[in-house]
Amino acid sequence: MKSVVTAIVLLPRNLAVLLLRGYRAVISPLYGDVCRYYPSCSSYTLQAIQQRGVVVGSAMGVYRIARCHPWAKGGVDDVPPVRRPKYQLTPFGFVVASHGKG
Amino acid sequence: MEIPFLDTILWPIKWVVELILVAWHYLWTFIGLDPAAGLTWVLSIVGLVLVVRAALIPIFVRQIKSQRKMLEVAPQLKKIQDKYKGKKDQFSREAMSRETMELYRRTGTNPLASCLPLLLQMPIFFSLFSVLNNAQKGLAGVGPLNAELGKQFGDATLFGVAPLHDTFIGAWNAGGPWQVMLIAGLMVVLMTASQFYTQLQIMAKNQSPEAKNSPMFKQQRILLYILPLVFVFSGVAFPLGVMFYWLTSNLWTMGQQFLVIRNMPTPGSEAAKAREARLAKKGKLEPTKGAPAIESIPEVPKTTQRQQPVNKNRAKKQGDKK
Repeated sequence: MKSVVTAIVLLPRNLAVLLLRGYRAVISPLYGDVCRYYPSCSSYTLQAIQQRGVVVGSAMGVYRIARCHPWAKGGVDDVPPVRRPKYQLTPFGFVVASHGKG
Repeated sequence: MEIPFLDTILWPIKWVVELILVAWHYLWTFIGLDPAAGLTWVLSIVGLVLVVRAALIPIFVRQIKSQRKMLEVAPQLKKIQDKYKGKKDQFSREAMSRETMELYRRTGTNPLASCLPLLLQMPIFFSLFSVLNNAQKGLAGVGPLNAELGKQFGDATLFGVAPLHDTFIGAWNAGGPWQVMLIAGLMVVLMTASQFYTQLQIMAKNQSPEAKNSPMFKQQRILLYILPLVFVFSGVAFPLGVMFYWLTSNLWTMGQQFLVIRNMPTPGSEAAKAREARLAKKGKLEPTKGAPAIESIPEVPKTTQRQQPVNKNRAKKQGDKK
């Protein structure tokens, strides 16, 4: 029962993960490496959504894209880590309930 | 377009797009072109591209400036690249990217453009799409493109038969005119060729050997061959007028890229070697301005004190001490 609830809770962000993975595989390479930050904006958004869900993650992604312009200094800019990670990632990037004490 | 939210956002951009289009149309008419001819409207679209791309030049110049400054950090960049030489696992790649980005930030030499130039062009593209779409129905635009001009734009044909608002698929379904399909097909070929050439130039000539070994490069190379498919699909669905915008923009990029690769190549790339060879041939190889020599001779501390002459034996002893 609990795992079903978790799966439903995680469904939106996993859909977003799928979307972003698709974007990163197909559209992003069309114009090559242009991001002034590491990780790139799409990678940053992906991580943010994985950790914090669609709403907060997307907002962080939008804020990041707004910060990424030719006059920005760029550099390393990671997603601030969550204090207590609740979930695990599959190799593809899907978010699943973590085993053990969760 | 039936998306009110998008229309609201695009309204100001549409207004500006229309203004530029109408201004160019006025200019072409003023110098004697037929105001209702398709060619006049195509040239107006070309003019729109010129204005948009010229407006993006400052961003581009900034990119070149930081690329020039990159010569100064070339030794440090090389150090990072040497450190990760031959390490192709994901973690080393990641660590290398991190260090490189950090170096760019520290020295203010970030050569990457960010996606802003692209993001800025997208609404312009959609606006033009929407303006043409409305013109097709003979509707007036949101501003400078009044009802009369809108109808003229909508009715404008190339060679008297191919309307600018028509799409390949539309002509296909209506069973003609075949000229629309021919022009659309020709533009797909030209677009593919120009994009292919631009990409190939960057990938073959303007990347350092290290970048060529990265997985990103291989991915890019695969996409080089998928890209024509993208153009075929969009070439089928987009109105001729929008395709003219895209094609002209592509040609501009191609020329711009050519100049940059020729004159400001990425250090360590083949284009950089070619440039050095070219300059050496002309006999005016400029000393790499501002770039500190990689192996500078350690400076001998200067003293004002006169060196006492020493006899052979003592000189030997001093030499031994060192």
